[in-house]
Amino acid sequence: MLTDRIPMVIIIFSLVIAFLLPIFARWKRSLCGPIVAVVTGFSFFFSLFLLYDVHRGGSYSIYLGGFEPPWGIELHINLLAALMIALITGFCFLIAIYSLNSLEREIPDQKAGWYYTAYLLLMTGMTGMVVTNDIFNLYVFLEIVGLASCALIIAKGTKEATEASLKYLLLATIGSGFIVFAIGFLYTITGNLNIPFIAIELEGTRDSFPFVIWTTMGFLLVGFSLKAALFPLHIWLPDAHSSAPFPSSALLSGLVVKIYIMAFFKILYGVFGPGILAEMNIAGLITGMSAMAIVAGSIFAFTQKDLKRRLAYSTVSQVGYIFLGLSLGTPWGIKAALMHVVVHAFMKVCLFMAAGNILFQTGKRNVTLFSGLGRIMPVTMASFTVAALSMVGIPIFAGFITKYALAMGSIEAGSRGLVALIVLSGLLNAMYYLPIIWQAYFTGNQKEKVVMDRIPLPLLAPVVLLACGILYLGLFPAPILSLISGAVEPVFFP
Amino acid sequence: MRELDVFMLLANFPYFVSILLFSMGCLIVLTQPNLIKKVIGLNVMETAIFLFFIAVGNISGGAPPIVNPATGGVLYVNPLPQALILTGIVVSFSVTAFALAMIVSLYRFYGTVHVSELMKMR
Repeated sequence: MLTDRIPMVIIIFSLVIAFLLPIFARWKRSLCGPIVAVVTGFSFFFSLFLLYDVHRGGSYSIYLGGFEPPWGIELHINLLAALMIALITGFCFLIAIYSLNSLEREIPDQKAGWYYTAYLLLMTGMTGMVVTNDIFNLYVFLEIVGLASCALIIAKGTKEATEASLKYLLLATIGSGFIVFAIGFLYTITGNLNIPFIAIELEGTRDSFPFVIWTTMGFLLVGFSLKAALFPLHIWLPDAHSSAPFPSSALLSGLVVKIYIMAFFKILYGVFGPGILAEMNIAGLITGMSAMAIVAGSIFAFTQKDLKRRLAYSTVSQVGYIFLGLSLGTPWGIKAALMHVVVHAFMKVCLFMAAGNILFQTGKRNVTLFSGLGRIMPVTMASFTVAALSMVGIPIFAGFITKYALAMGSIEAGSRGLVALIVLSGLLNAMYYLPIIWQAYFTGNQKEKVVMDRIPLPLLAPVVLLACGILYLGLFPAPILSLISGAVEPVFFP
Repeated sequence: MRELDVFMLLANFPYFVSILLFSMGCLIVLTQPNLIKKVIGLNVMETAIFLFFIAVGNISGGAPPIVNPATGGVLYVNPLPQALILTGIVVSFSVTAFALAMIVSLYRFYGTVHVSELMKMR
């Protein structure tokens, strides 16, 4: 079957194009952006095809080089992986269209080719992390993603970007050090690198090595929390995401942190299984950390005046939601977490792009200066409002669906206190999003005529499209929810 | 609590060294104010991981894993961790190069590689 090879085609094709782009940029720099848009667009098209195929035909594995596991590397494509690939390539496509016009406003012209190299490498790495079933291969893809995201941040070349990027690189490398050490421990006690084979070996040897399993879990938790910015270890995220160029911020905040979370839970559930997890009670610890993340991220966001920093801190609290849902371990909790991965990508990418449009037209980043913005850029502000209200969790917007599902999950897990926490966090979100909207529409000169935004179409179209997507997901959540339940069942509740 | 077994300690000597080096490297990255020293700490940390992997793959008395059909029945050390660490070295090398390049450009901006002085200048 031809569709068997689609994940490999996406990975290898974008990898090859990534390294050809700098050479191509020497010859014709202006064509780099359109080429990347075409490459990501094709990947998105193929991944939709893959999603349809996996949805209909079930999951399958690819053995690289024809070597079967446990010897060779296995790529396992189930519905969850296909869904994540579609999400990754779709958003890379949208952000590539956005960067067609926004990149030249922020990045020195001669760096454009290299920027797109890092961009495509990031897409390759994320796709690889989602599909691979070999933990050392996962580590390699993880490093590709880490280095490429640092490159995307530093591309702007300013003092702040360089500083934030170095901080991110150092902390992310500590994180991946912990992860690779944990992989070493797993290899020592099981002799395998393939996730299902490790799980089988671990069934027999778990009683002999309780301390090693403890240490492995601790190292994995520290490593992935550093990478995914779970609350006490989030310190790099606000600097990194606020000093990066707008397309990079959108990509990093909307997708990259969540791919790390998915990889973490893929290892936790795939390797240890629900039995050991319940015995070690690591989920309780993660629930506590994510509850802190939700509250603290919102409070930090409230204190920020810079719009980008506010959005970055908001990501810290939204990462908390995803960790919370996954750590609850109930069907609704995990569904809510995956739904939030999808919905938060829509919302945060939309918000960052709208923030970019506001900066490009008016030069304003400080949220206290936004009065009357609803009249001079109505389309952007309308989209911003849709995304922000969805963040708060108002019904008919997509954010409400995930909050509702998360509340269902906490009731299922028997912890009613978390429902109060979710309501509280909705109020905290309202505290830092609503003043922006209020200022934009109801302050300033009310007599002023409403005019159209003065920004080109490639910057405007993705924002509007994402806002429509948020409304669609909020009004008709049934198809995506049923797709997600189909994706969750075989992975988390076999 | 079991009593300390000296022979167990001696048999697992490389593992203890690698954990010690890992913790030291981690501490250096987090606490040293000098950026170059931070990068050195990062390298110490990653070298500790390499040591751990190589120690895992080692079999005492094993020959290098180069298969010669003429001499059968030789005990080889496990080649897989060595292959993995080859990848690890490449990753560590590129991270170090990237970090040093960033430090150079920070030095061009601020004229210092000390974190405390960087903070003052902001």
